[in-house]
Amino acid sequence: MHSLHDLTIKKLHEGLLKKEYTALEVAQKFFEYIDSKDREINAYLSLAKDEAYRQAERVDLKIAGDEPVGMLAGAPLAIKDNLLVSGQPMTCASKILEDYRAPYDATVIRKLKGVDAVFLGKTNMDEFAMGSSTETSAFKLTRNPHDLERVPGGSSGGSAAAVSAHMALGALGTDTGGSIRQPASLCGVVGLKPTYGAVSRYGATAMASSLDQIGPFAKTVEDVAILFQAIAGRDQFDATSADPEGGYGNTLFNPELEDIKNLTIGLPEEYFTAGADSEVVKAVEGAIEKIKSLRINFKTIKLPHTKYALSCYYIIMPAEVSANLARFDGIRYGRKDGHAKADNLLDLYKKNRSDGFGQEVKRRIILGTYVLSSGYYDAYYAKAQKVRALIKKDFDEAFKEVDVILTPVSPTTAFKLGEKTADPLTMYLSDIFTIPVNMAGLPAISIPVRGREGLPVGFQLIGKHWREKDILGIGQYYEKISA
Amino acid sequence: MFEINKKSIEHLAELARLKLTEKEQEKFLTDLTSILNHFKELQEVNTDEVRPMTGGTMLKNVTREDEVFTEGHFENVDKLREQFPEQDGGFLKVPPVFYAEDRSALGGE
Repeated sequence: MHSLHDLTIKKLHEGLLKKEYTALEVAQKFFEYIDSKDREINAYLSLAKDEAYRQAERVDLKIAGDEPVGMLAGAPLAIKDNLLVSGQPMTCASKILEDYRAPYDATVIRKLKGVDAVFLGKTNMDEFAMGSSTETSAFKLTRNPHDLERVPGGSSGGSAAAVSAHMALGALGTDTGGSIRQPASLCGVVGLKPTYGAVSRYGATAMASSLDQIGPFAKTVEDVAILFQAIAGRDQFDATSADPEGGYGNTLFNPELEDIKNLTIGLPEEYFTAGADSEVVKAVEGAIEKIKSLRINFKTIKLPHTKYALSCYYIIMPAEVSANLARFDGIRYGRKDGHAKADNLLDLYKKNRSDGFGQEVKRRIILGTYVLSSGYYDAYYAKAQKVRALIKKDFDEAFKEVDVILTPVSPTTAFKLGEKTADPLTMYLSDIFTIPVNMAGLPAISIPVRGREGLPVGFQLIGKHWREKDILGIGQYYEKISA
Repeated sequence: MFEINKKSIEHLAELARLKLTEKEQEKFLTDLTSILNHFKELQEVNTDEVRPMTGGTMLKNVTREDEVFTEGHFENVDKLREQFPEQDGGFLKVPPVFYAEDRSALGGE
């Protein structure tokens, strides 16, 4: 059997078909490894061994019976703990959901079960996906597999770390302002934030509904494409979901070099001149040089409203957070002991929410309540929605000249545990290059710069709406030429 | 308009159904003051003729008939109810909302 460290989803599929190993053996091997390795990483919040073995055995039966199986059959995956997997815990890394068990499957889970994927467990995250380091989790501190003194990024830090440390072949996360791409960059794995609406969010815990998207992590761009294709599609249970015109079909794989060469990549001045560490800029420039060798055209572009994206985001997102988290009231969701000693309804709400939510969640609820409150609404929320329209317009204009935009993902490499927890603004700056993408609803991928020493650095490819094909295509060629 | 003080933090906490400790109030006041200060930069942007982006896209709503649909989903509604912290015979249980005397259970405002 391949070492777990060399395995990809694609290689696993080939090995299963050649009967080099069974899906059950693979699942067992992964759990064995997790049992020792995760003691230092802390990527998982809960494991689902029994169910995973049952899923794997079903795959082995099919293969033994010569039934056709898909690319993801038997693939061991890690799932962020804000997605529902029926019967399993779903905590959002919050005390308020400590006792919660998922009563049904999220659409993405239902789809992955349909193609016989295997779920190893649920991964750690920032509480309710609010954070950029996974440090706001109420339960665990996840460590970066490349340096245990550093954060894995966030909010999907557990998913990124699990893939990076070979404790899963792929994972799902959610991305509201960078929560897939930034941890992917910090952990040295590939992470895709799909077009707004491309993946159903039914069964995902809502954070900021106008920005949230579910997306995959994996070790290669091709594996990410496999996962993305499996979870994409219009779903009647998410009114914001849609299919691209003509569907994705087979356009996401085996891109033609001729098509790739005809693309033009834009480099936005605003993303290279300010804010990013020189180490990051240097690494990203290295990737640009590599891609240039494919004879793709590059062009400098302008996205003038970029500098306002962070302020804009930190008004719109908390506003939506304050509304979405109102449902955690201690009545429909809450701890089993939450009803004790509450003498009236208001008391019950306050008790459950104050004890159940951590500092960052409370901070954002207060901030969101403020920007929505009477007298401040126009100055903050309404203003931010208008600036958001201008940020989107910047991209619309740029995409008249170029097909794809290339930028750094995170302004820094993985930072030290505890380094940015004291001052929220410093932490918020971790997402300056990823936030504008969510504001405009675009697809974007974080790909590790290959062939460099030291901590991982990712570069970001941003595509036009529904053109995951372009960014996945360039990504697949980049990996080919830098392997 | 960018002013925020301890009293407003208390009021916001009340609106958000949170009880903050003295320490939290102080910390949030410091944090929010610096965050709101950062937001000032948005005032430089001319948005006079701009239509606000009110959701994840600039698309218009599409409406449909509001029909109850359970097939294949929620056949087992009990599973949803099981997750309620307190319930009685399939109903959500809550503390008293109404009192005999003239006092609202919603905090006596």
